[in-house]
Amino acid sequence: MTEVLARLDGIVRHFGHVKALDGATLEIHAGEVHGILGENGAGKTTLLNILGGIIRPDVGSLEMGGTPVRLQSARAAWEMGVGLVHQHFTLVPGLSVLENLALGWRHEGRRWTLRLEEIRQEAYRLGRLTGLNVPFEASIEELGVGDRQRIEILKALLRDPQLLVLDEPTAVLAPAEIEQLFGLLRTLANEGRAVVLVAHKLDEILSIADRVTVLRDGRTVMTAALADLDAAVLTEAMVGPSSREEEEPEARVREVSSLFGQGTESLARDRALAARAVASLNGISVYGPRGESVLQDVQLEVMSGEVIGVAGVEGNGQRDLALLLSGRRDVYVGNLEIPDDVGFIPQDRNLEGLAADFDLTENVALAVHRDPEFRWGPLLRWDVIKERAKEIRSRFKVRSSDTRVLARELSGGNQQRLVVGRELSRLPKLLIAENPTRGLDLTATAFVRGELKRLAREAAAGVVLISTDLDEVLELADRIFVILRGRLTLVPAVRHSRAGVGAMMLGGGPEVG
Amino acid sequence: MRRFGQLGVAVVALLATGIIAAGSLWLGGYDPLVAGRAMLQGSFGSGTAILSVTMVRAVPLIVTGLAVALAFRAGVWNIGAEGQLYAGAIAAAWVGLSWGSAPRWVLTPAVLLAAFLGGALWAAIPALMKVRLGIGEVIPTILMNFVGIYLAAFMVHGPLQEARGVFPQTDPITDAARLPVLVEGTRLHLGFPIALLIGAMLWAGLRWTHFGFQVRSVGASPEAARVSGMIESKRVLLVAFLTSGAIAGLAGGIEITGVTFALYEGLSPGWGYTAIAVALLAGLHPAWVIFTGLLLGGLEAGAGAMQREAGVPAAWVSAVEALVILFVLAGDQIRRRFHA
Repeated sequence: MTEVLARLDGIVRHFGHVKALDGATLEIHAGEVHGILGENGAGKTTLLNILGGIIRPDVGSLEMGGTPVRLQSARAAWEMGVGLVHQHFTLVPGLSVLENLALGWRHEGRRWTLRLEEIRQEAYRLGRLTGLNVPFEASIEELGVGDRQRIEILKALLRDPQLLVLDEPTAVLAPAEIEQLFGLLRTLANEGRAVVLVAHKLDEILSIADRVTVLRDGRTVMTAALADLDAAVLTEAMVGPSSREEEEPEARVREVSSLFGQGTESLARDRALAARAVASLNGISVYGPRGESVLQDVQLEVMSGEVIGVAGVEGNGQRDLALLLSGRRDVYVGNLEIPDDVGFIPQDRNLEGLAADFDLTENVALAVHRDPEFRWGPLLRWDVIKERAKEIRSRFKVRSSDTRVLARELSGGNQQRLVVGRELSRLPKLLIAENPTRGLDLTATAFVRGELKRLAREAAAGVVLISTDLDEVLELADRIFVILRGRLTLVPAVRHSRAGVGAMMLGGGPEVG
Repeated sequence: MRRFGQLGVAVVALLATGIIAAGSLWLGGYDPLVAGRAMLQGSFGSGTAILSVTMVRAVPLIVTGLAVALAFRAGVWNIGAEGQLYAGAIAAAWVGLSWGSAPRWVLTPAVLLAAFLGGALWAAIPALMKVRLGIGEVIPTILMNFVGIYLAAFMVHGPLQEARGVFPQTDPITDAARLPVLVEGTRLHLGFPIALLIGAMLWAGLRWTHFGFQVRSVGASPEAARVSGMIESKRVLLVAFLTSGAIAGLAGGIEITGVTFALYEGLSPGWGYTAIAVALLAGLHPAWVIFTGLLLGGLEAGAGAMQREAGVPAAWVSAVEALVILFVLAGDQIRRRFHA
């Protein structure tokens, strides 16, 4: 029979007045890859954090290997054999990779000495075994997100966990890297360990999981072997039968049309008189703090009405390209022309998109407070800003009791909706979106993608989508570029496919295949 | 709900401070009740105590408290209000003495303006180090305090020393440079309404103006402020920092023109540090600073009476003020945890 490694039952957990989990259950068997699915705010991350000992449930029981346990800390969880790979990175920036790995090391019998050499050997061995190649001597801040992800996984594996828990590990990886990761997870499961995996992309879960648990509104609505299910059943379980009605795309379109307001049509007409360049980069190069080349001789012209997709593995210069295009970086070589008002959806919404201690209205003000519409001399027109915040909240379905809720009190997905809503509702001439759907659920992803496209088509804006999600780029972009080691290369239309772009992302030139 | 949270932290911090303070008195062999009664009597026990002692004592605390609150709201950890206060006091005394013959309507504003600029100048050094060189402001502002304190000492032993050359102090400034007394027969002077006015301006400025919002944004999240593309963070920081220093300098000017009428060594018993307790206890809210300034002003005002009547050393009050800071900081973190 299957051995039950862990069982969580009737878990309830509140944050303030928000009920994140409301009677969730989860049962994990040895030797399986267990996928967890759910919309934003369904409670996935909370459930994983309970399993990892990071937070404690208000109500509910937890069993490990058949015995009831109380996990009082993350350390207690690893001692029980649970390794948690966080959604947000938990690496210490000032330390080297090796030193960071040492933070996760179990010093058997030797509590007081740090044996870096032992850790190095073990890490090299594990790295070879698993194909997780990371530069051990590098300092964390020199590394891209993809490398950091690999380090997080390696850090968890060093503790030799029986149960490896990963919160959205694929969000920052290239297709080939995802395949490699999944291969590794499968190997681990075959060794008799269990792997618990949260991923937003249904097809990823479908491709790897043995069983799935679906959460909705903090409750477990389904646990089943994947063999018995198909995508449609899972989607319905995640979204719920009733909410599917109200999320009809046409209703949404009507709703958002009114957000863009009556002005939109004439605006679109004005802007679309001729498709013209809204931004142009000519021979742009950017150098890093140590003089290394970050962007090299970039040529790019963004036309009104088009969506440009920039695909690439994380850490190839996307960050600097985004900052440059949005006017947030002013040290460069070359010729840059961008409009005054650029909408920007930054990748790190927690840190860069929102001020955590500001409420919804103040966070909207952050981006709009310079527009004359919201000012009266030196004063801010808070009443008008608040109206805008209310509009964004209802149209972009930011789940919050009112506009006085602080950004920190919103779930990750809702924070992203707020940022996206704020930037889109400004109707900028140019919008730069950095991984705009990372961490969003299916419904929200479809919604945001639709809105980006609409902004280009109906408000004749130029949209630059910089994404590590290849499917997203393929779905939205009119023209696709690949960014690799700071160089931007146009992908010929004939190669607009997963395989075609994916190969170029990893360095295969356009002439190949 | 949030407001209540902040108020709750202040109330709990005060209660906890009170309990530990009473306990320490008891352990030291004093009668906490007698000491407490003497303190209350000396600070809020009579009209004279309130108007001539507590409110007068509260003025520099409120003004420096506002300076600190402004800086902290911008995310600038200006621990240098003490030095900025001295810089303002030096500038005020200098202008007051050298322009002694000017008419009142010129002299009083000129002296206060000098104090304002003196404080700004003192803050400019750590401010520029922060904005231009990226040097954290905490240590430079603390160090500038000592420079300010000893510069004042040097001035009253040297260039600005009184004509007789006996005491380490300046000559008194002329009547025309002195702030008028508000209530006949008390020491309450125009500085108090000036403090209220600064508080009101800061409150309205932070809440309603464009620039005030930028200040709050830079303080709430420097990253989000920068990435918003709407805020020149360095300029905002610089202006907030200099304004904070200027307000602290003004506190020194007000003290010279309202109370001491001369600059001397040890003018401030550490108002610039107590200001941190005042600002934190008020949750960095300018309107609440008025109340917390009065509260701690009362504490300092009552310290003298307590020393006379219960024999408790007045310096004990400094320890109590430090406790207030510790409890507010701890309480704030605990409250955040609950709401996380």
